[in-house]
Amino acid sequence: MSGAGPKGPRLGLGLSEDVDLLRFEQQAREAEAAPGPAPATPGEWIRQNLFSGPVNALLTLASGTFVLFVAYQILSFVFVSAQWEVVQVGMRGYMIGGFPVDEAWRVWASAYLVIVLAGLSYGVSARRLRPSAGQAAVGAVIVAVAGAIVFFTAQTALVRALTAGVAPAVFAGALVGRLLGRKILKPLVVAWVLVFPAIMIVVRGFDGVPPSEWEGFFFNIIAATVGIVASFPLGLLLALGRRSELPAVRVASVGFIELFRGVPLVAWLIFSKFVVDLVLPPQMVIPDIVKAFVAMTFFSAAYVGEIVRGGLQGVPAGQYEAARALGLSTTRMMALIVLPQALRSTIPAMISHFISLFKDTSLFVAIEVTDLLAAARRSASSLQYFGRDMETLLFAGLIFWAVAFSMSRWSQRLEVRLGVGRR
Amino acid sequence: MADRSATAGIEKAGDDRMIVADDVVKSFGHFQALKGVSMALNKAETVVIVGPSGSGKSTFIRTINRLERHDAGRIFVDGIELTDDIRNIAQIRSEIGMVFQSFNLFPHLTVLQNIGLAPRNVRRWPKKKAEEKVMQLLERVGIPEQAHKYPAELSGGQQQRVAIARALAMEPKIMLFDEPTSALDPEMIKEVLDVIEELAESGMTMIVVSHEIGFARHVADRVMLFDDGLLIEEAPPNRFFDDPQHERTKRFLSQIL
Ligand SMILES: Nc1ncnc2c1ncn2[C@@H]1O[C@H](COP(=O)(O)OP(=O)(O)OP(=O)(O)O)[C@@H](O)[C@H]1O
Ligand SMILES: [Mg+2]
Repeated sequence: MSGAGPKGPRLGLGLSEDVDLLRFEQQAREAEAAPGPAPATPGEWIRQNLFSGPVNALLTLASGTFVLFVAYQILSFVFVSAQWEVVQVGMRGYMIGGFPVDEAWRVWASAYLVIVLAGLSYGVSARRLRPSAGQAAVGAVIVAVAGAIVFFTAQTALVRALTAGVAPAVFAGALVGRLLGRKILKPLVVAWVLVFPAIMIVVRGFDGVPPSEWEGFFFNIIAATVGIVASFPLGLLLALGRRSELPAVRVASVGFIELFRGVPLVAWLIFSKFVVDLVLPPQMVIPDIVKAFVAMTFFSAAYVGEIVRGGLQGVPAGQYEAARALGLSTTRMMALIVLPQALRSTIPAMISHFISLFKDTSLFVAIEVTDLLAAARRSASSLQYFGRDMETLLFAGLIFWAVAFSMSRWSQRLEVRLGVGRR
Repeated sequence: MADRSATAGIEKAGDDRMIVADDVVKSFGHFQALKGVSMALNKAETVVIVGPSGSGKSTFIRTINRLERHDAGRIFVDGIELTDDIRNIAQIRSEIGMVFQSFNLFPHLTVLQNIGLAPRNVRRWPKKKAEEKVMQLLERVGIPEQAHKYPAELSGGQQQRVAIARALAMEPKIMLFDEPTSALDPEMIKEVLDVIEELAESGMTMIVVSHEIGFARHVADRVMLFDDGLLIEEAPPNRFFDDPQHERTKRFLSQIL
């Protein structure tokens, strides 16, 4: 048994504030590594885990063969028989659909806004969390794949330059964030709050582009952001409403949740045209897409409400009593004591729900929005590229997956950071 | 003995009774947990309450700061009657600090934040003033070096001392302790009792529910026995433990001594 057991944590910059988190991380790692002694060599590991008996060995061989076969088929498709020209030609359609080309700078500006902010945030937090060798390897693969895609699909030198500029922008942001550190934490939070309104102004303002022309992947991102940002506070209110002492509030919250959760999102998107008109005065004209955003927000809020309710149930009665005994008002008790604890335990479920919501934005095809998925399918039905569905769907799937996976990773970071499970 | 005249003249100025309970009744559904408890507690006095499990000790001290609402009878705290008026409740809670059996520290906040929370958010003190107060309190309970840790990183005894400091941060006139040491390992009990004793000596008005007989003998001005929702007997510790008057007190003492 040489070198078994978890390695000690690497201290970022050796700052005292690192210690707390690292100790916590280390405990988590130790807990993970705890069951059973680690085998000494890879060979031994294989013997113990894959060939521990005749049945096990047979299963290993059978499933191994199957996995190899599938991998071979996929790789030979991707690198040999696929004709990626369709993706190359359709790229702009996938990204922004029918968004006017002359106005595409608005999308770029928005994207760069988010990218720089993300870089800054990473820089600030990376003071505490250094990428491990594994993370660095994954990062390199991602950059290579993204780079290849950009290189082969960018139609103009400008697009190529702008896309290639993403990496330096993130890096510059991270560097600045790292240098300034926690000083800019508050401005950063404010910036994140303001970034969505800012994007709306960049996209719509100054004779901009109306929502009915938002298409492609840009649409998926905007729709998901609207849904997440708007449904989170509404869901919080629903969860609190469910526990209200006023019966009317309780009934209304439960009714709202059951109503919106009980009908498929697609149906709500289609209904939204009529439902929203019911509650608005007739002289107010609202684009159908915006109505559908409202429907999606309500649908998502119902789920958020139930997730938060689960979190609230996990907060022990003693926490309420201690807060009351200290003389905290109900509002402060909820805001400072109960919700922070309730929400942190809901992070995994919440992120899971938001990932679903992000993917469900492709259901807007039901109200004739050409999102990434719809654009991909459409490009495979043109005369020239008829039947190239595999290529286009693989590509669209890759993009959806990349975003969903990033959200998942981010949530794991958040869990460690906030000490989920620490009591 | 408590009697029905406990509340007589409570509104008079210059009265130094900090808590007056008059015939307090509390039911949970059909079950009467308090069947009419009357008592009075003078300024700077320490009362220790003992009694069998389920006798209503916790329920009684919880009615005093309105964690439970009493159904009948009257409660006065420092001359203010406890009613449904939320301003009254807020005022009374700000005068009473409470320490729980299971500490109930806020796990997502550091020790510093746990203690500073109420001064900052209820008293609206500036950050600096609150932090100075916290450090002074941590000094007093003997763990100034733990300020930046989370509750889960402390021993039980340290956690309970933080809980005491947290209650003291509001500068209460009265402290209520509900079995503050019964969740602790034996070797940590003393460090907590020492803090409570120091408080008693400093002139704090206190009710302590506890079965630590040595502590009660040493620190209490009076000891009370609760049984079956009633205050059965109250006396100075020597008389209470050595010469109890009531049959139930004798039986209870024979069980725990
Ligand atoms: N919230 C509640 N709902 C229903 N019954 C309750 C509630 N709180 C207390 N009781 C009941 O009231 C009675 C008195 O409880 P209380 O907690 O005051 O007893 P105690 O003297 O503190 O006992 P212990 O020594 O076990 O803490 C018990 O029978 C208990 O079951
Ligand atoms: Mg009790």
